[in-house]
Amino acid sequence: MSPVSLPPVLSAPLSVDIAITGRCNLHCGYCFYADEMVALRDLPGERWQAFFVELGQLAVQRVSLTGGEAFTRPDLFELIDGVVANRMRYNILSNGTLITEETLCQFEAGKRRQRLDYIQVSIDGSRAEIHDKSRPNSFERAIRGLRLLVEARFPATVRVTVNRYNVDDLENVARLLLEEIGLPAFSTNEAEPGGMAKRQADEIALTPAQRRRAMAVLPALAERYNGRINAQAGPLALAREFQFLEDCVADGLADLPGRGTLSSCGGVFSKLAVHHDGTIVPCHWLPSLHLGQIGVDDLQTIWREHPVLDKLRCRRTIPLHTLPTCRDCPYASFCRGGCPGQALLLTGELDVRSPMTCYRLYRERQRLSPVEKVVV
Amino acid sequence: MTTEAILYIANPDVSYREEEDGAILFNPDTDEVLVINVTGQLVWQALARPMSCGGIAAALIAQCENVPQDQVAQDVDEFVAELLGRGFAGIYEGAA
Ligand code: SF4
Repeated sequence: MSPVSLPPVLSAPLSVDIAITGRCNLHCGYCFYADEMVALRDLPGERWQAFFVELGQLAVQRVSLTGGEAFTRPDLFELIDGVVANRMRYNILSNGTLITEETLCQFEAGKRRQRLDYIQVSIDGSRAEIHDKSRPNSFERAIRGLRLLVEARFPATVRVTVNRYNVDDLENVARLLLEEIGLPAFSTNEAEPGGMAKRQADEIALTPAQRRRAMAVLPALAERYNGRINAQAGPLALAREFQFLEDCVADGLADLPGRGTLSSCGGVFSKLAVHHDGTIVPCHWLPSLHLGQIGVDDLQTIWREHPVLDKLRCRRTIPLHTLPTCRDCPYASFCRGGCPGQALLLTGELDVRSPMTCYRLYRERQRLSPVEKVVV
Repeated sequence: MTTEAILYIANPDVSYREEEDGAILFNPDTDEVLVINVTGQLVWQALARPMSCGGIAAALIAQCENVPQDQVAQDVDEFVAELLGRGFAGIYEGAA
C-alpha cells in the first residue's frame, strides 16, 4: 500500500458545531452531552455574537446549533440573526418539544428561514410508550413540533437513535415518519457509550443480538422505502460497512485508496465544536480534548496549529495492520478503524480502532464461524 | 450580457476564503460554493468596489505580463456573467 498523504489543512473550519446551551427540558437516557450539561455554564449572548463575528471573518460557512435543547435559549433568534449577519447558514438539532406555531413565525423575519439548512427532531419510537422510555414524557410534543415543521414546509429531518427499547419498533417508526407524516427521509444512529448512555449502558445500549437484528431490519426497510432511511453511524451504517468489507475480501482486492488506515473521521479536516461554556473541542464526541476558549484563543491558530488536531489528522496515516488489534485481520486493508471519539471513550487511547465498529470483534461477539457472513 | 457601461459589485453576503490552491466563494443565501483560481481571485478583489468588465480586464492586464488582451476581456466577461448568474455579484445601482 502506498504511503498516505494528508489533505492540506484548510485556512479555517468549514463548519462549527455549537452547543449554545446546557439547559434541556428533557432528561434523555442516552444523552452523550449529559456530563458537560451538568458541569458547565451557559455563555451570555454577547460572547456568542463576538464568536460569530470571528467565524464570519474566517469565512466559516455554517454552524450547527445544538445543546442541551437549543429552543430553551430565550435569545435563540438573536443568536440566529448573528449567524446570518456573519454570512453563514445554520441548522438546529432539537428534541422538537418546544416548537410551536409562534416559534415558526419567528423564523419568517429577515433571512432566518432562508439560511436554515434544517431542523432535526429526535424521534425514538412510533408511540409514546416506546419513545418516552428513552426521551421521557415527550412523544406527543415532539410529534406535534415535527408535524408543524412539515406542514409549514420547513426543512425538517428526524434522527432515530436505535436503542434497546425501540429496536423492535423500527418498522412502525418508518411507517409513521415516511408514510403518515410524509418526511422525505430520516436518519438513524445508535445509543453510543458517552455521557448518560455510558452509565446506563445496561438499560439503553443494544445487546449484540439486538444490534444484529437492527442491522438486518434497517437495510431491508431502507430498500423498501427507496433509500429514504440513511445513517452515518449505528446499525444501518455498520451493516453497509460490514457488507462492503465482505465484498472487498470476496473480490480479492489487495487494498483500496482512502482505506486501510485510521481514516474514518473526516471531521477534523472540516469542522470544530464548542461546548456551551465556550470551550473549543475537536468534536462533541471528543468532549475532553480541550483546545482553547472562544474569545480568548484565536480560532484560526487553534485550527491550524493545535497539536491535538494535528494528532487527530495524522491518525489517517496509521495503517491498521500496524495496530496490535488489527495486525492479522483479513479486513485491515479495507477497514477505516471507526470513530476516534468512540475509541477514546472505550479504550482511553486515540491511535487505536473503535471497538464499537470493529467487524472482527463484531463477528467474535456474535460468535460467527470464519465462513459465516453476517450481512449477506 | 455584460457591457462596459454596467458596473458590477461583489455580493456583500458572499464569504471569501483563500486556500492553498485558490479561493472559495460561498453564497449563504443559495448555499452555492464557487472555487476560483488566482485570476478569479483578482477579479473578485476588484469587485470590492463598483467596476465595469472593461475596468477589471484593464486592471488584470496591468498586473499580468504577456497576456493576450482579447482573451482577458473575454474571460472577464464570462467570469463576471457567471458571478452574476449565481448571485455572487450584482449590478451596482448607486452613483458611479
Ligand atoms: S480488527 Fe477490526 S478495526 Fe481492525 S482492521 Fe479488522 S475489522 Fe477493522
